[in-house]
Parts: sequence; structure tokens; C-alpha cells
Amino acid sequence: MDKVRIVIVDDSAFSIAFIRNILEENGFEVVGEAGNLDEVKKVVEETKPNLVTMDMTLPGTDGLECTRAVHKIDKNIKVIVVSSMMDEEIIHQARENDVSAYVQKPVDADELVTAINRILATKELYEFLNREYFPVFKEGLLDSANRMTKTRLTFQEEYPFNKEHSSAGLTVIVGIIGKFSGRMLIDMSKETAHKLAAALLRRDSRNADEMMAALSEFANIISGNACSVLNRENKALGLRVAPPSIFYGEEVHISAPEFGTMSVVAETDFGEILLNAGFKRGE
Amino acid sequence: MDVKYVNPFIEAFSIVMPQLGFSTAKKVGIGARKREIVSSGVVIVLGIIGEIRGNIVYVIDFESAKKIASTMMMGMPVPELDEMAQSALSELTNMLTANAATCFSNVGITADISTPTLLYGNNLTVKMSSEKVLSVKLEADSIPIEINISFENN
Repeated sequence: MDKVRIVIVDDSAFSIAFIRNILEENGFEVVGEAGNLDEVKKVVEETKPNLVTMDMTLPGTDGLECTRAVHKIDKNIKVIVVSSMMDEEIIHQARENDVSAYVQKPVDADELVTAINRILATKELYEFLNREYFPVFKEGLLDSANRMTKTRLTFQEEYPFNKEHSSAGLTVIVGIIGKFSGRMLIDMSKETAHKLAAALLRRDSRNADEMMAALSEFANIISGNACSVLNRENKALGLRVAPPSIFYGEEVHISAPEFGTMSVVAETDFGEILLNAGFKRGE
Repeated sequence: MDVKYVNPFIEAFSIVMPQLGFSTAKKVGIGARKREIVSSGVVIVLGIIGEIRGNIVYVIDFESAKKIASTMMMGMPVPELDEMAQSALSELTNMLTANAATCFSNVGITADISTPTLLYGNNLTVKMSSEKVLSVKLEADSIPIEINISFENN
């Protein structure tokens, strides 16, 4: 990937130097600086950057007016507001003016770099996630089963899940949100669910609630651990999991998702557990 | 759970349904309900994370699901809940929930949504993620749709 070209808009020489340092240390190219509206128009027109960091308080103008000026030149240029002021009203206005992200001063290097990566590297990031996620989720299931039930499991061959699927009995679904949204589900027969819950609880479950709470937590740990591993590999993913919901009934079908997901059947001491996960490419 | 967490969904419903070819979209009722929902038909779940965290579960019976899919597909007959119909319904809930998330952000609550997962079956039981569930009954052209909302710590 070519170097990301950035213009810094700020009226403080200190802030410009500070932000420039962070950007250059992290492999970005600073192609220009501006401190007022006229300079913003001139520099952005001349340098055609990929991204602009934008202070909010500027002499004779403000960050929002300058953001509109940037987008008038090229609406594809991303703007990150970097400002000491941060309240709901400002964030709301920033959003209305198509600001891509908001970083508060004093600038934390990690926060700024993550914000830039998150905005710019969508395609590369999705390819990265698509390559990495499934082994990580499988590892999550393997590891959770191993640590929580002291048993080992073996995986059958994994396959893309692109047609309707009959539930074996009980399905636990976890929604995933971040740079890309997705979901993870585990599906198993009711018998397997009972046996697995008993192993998790280290005794038979007293009632259905207890069994389902155990399975919820199992799914929560698998998905949470997997997302943490992926986030560590690339912070820009920012994946987080929603609480698990459980579904069961007669002849339950799970419809084919609109996006690519992968499935694998794990053979466990308790019976077969299907693991499915996938992420949708963002707009 | 505060009713302010429900209004964005009602607002989203009244914005989105007319865009999809429905002439009326209205709220029929709101009530608290138990954590377990049993229905025969289609259920679609989406996660929501941000300043609020939880799940949204849409519940639609089979006949209503087919009618909704048919309206969304310009009145094409939908005798079976086939892949195309399922896809239409998933997309519907995606639009409704994304719109609700936008309504939330307009009142200063940021939230992102996960992809929808659609399931269907008989006597399908859903165990929601938290004890407190608010159920909103809505109608579009007299077709009932139920939205169940469970947020943690609200």
C-alpha cells in the first residue's frame, strides 16, 4: 500500500509538530499544514491528501467550516477532528459534517493511529480479517472446551456456510460489532447441550435456565476470546460481542447469511458442536 | 427499562416501512415480557453494542413473514418462505435496526449493530440475553411484527 498522505490543520505550532511526529513515526506522510480557511483550501487543493486532521478552534473560522471546504474539493478526503473540546454537541455537529472520527487532545498516539487505520484501511483490513478469523474462532472453541470441560475435541473439515441449515436442536447466537459486523453461532443437539452444560457446571444442571446460562457463557467466552485475539492482531478491528441469545424448537432452520461465513463441526465427548462465524464487508 | 430505549424502534418502523411499499405503519402496543419468547414462525436476532448493549429480536409468524416479503418484492407472490423471502426479511430488520441506531445517535446514544441472523421453526423458543425484555407490537398494513428489546443495565 502507498503511504497515506495527510494534511494537518491546526493553529498551534506545537500541536502541528506534535501530530506530525506521531504521524511520521507511524509511517504516514505529512504533505501539508494549514491554520486558517484560506490555507486549508490552498493546501488541500494542491496536495490532494487522503486524510486531514482538523482542529476545531481556528482563527476566523472553525473545524466544521474547514471540513466542508475540504469536502467541496474532494468528498473522498477523510477528516479526523483532533481537538481539545469534546462534548455531545460538537460530536453531533462533526457527524453531520461527515467527519470520520474524533480524537481528543492531548493526542494519544495509539488512538490517533488506530483511528486513521480504521478509516483508511477498510479493504486491506477486511482481507486480513477474512484470512485470520476462522482459525481464531476454532482455537477459541478448542481452548474454551479444553479449559472449561477438561476435554479435547477434534475438528472435521471446515466449509463455507452458504445455504440454509437445519439446527440440530439448540443454537446460541452472538452478534459481533466493530469495524466490521458479523456473528458467531454454535449449534448442537439438545442431548449434547445437556451433556456440555453438565461438564461446564461439573454436575447436572438443575433446570433449563441453569443449562442455558452455562451455554451462554460458553459462547460468550469463545467469541469474546476470539475477538480479543483478532483485536490484538489489529487494533483497528475494534471487535466487540453482544450478549448471547439462545434459540430452540421444532425443525428450526437457520437461514443462509447474506455474507460469507465458515462452519466447522467439532467432535466432542458430548457430541457434535457446529461452529459458524463470519463478517460482512462494510459499506 | 426506560421507554426512551423503545421510541427509536417505533420511529424507525414509521420511517422505513413506507419506503418499502407499506401504506400504513403503526404501533399497537408496548409491554414488558418474560425473557422467554415462544413463537411459530420467523425470528431474527441482531446484537447492538455501544452506550447500550443487548439484543433485538424480531418475531413474525409464517403468514405475515410471507406477506411482508411479498410487499417488499413489489407484490410478487411468496407462497414459500424461500431464500429470497428470507433475504428480504433479514434486510428489513437490518434497515429497521440501523435506522433505530441512527435515532439513538440523534439523542446522544451511540450504538452499532451486528448482522442479522434469521431462524424459523415451530414452537421456536428464544431466550433473550437479559431478564428485562420490552416487547413492541407493530403493524404495517395490518400485518403484525413484534420487536423484542433487551438491553443490559437499563
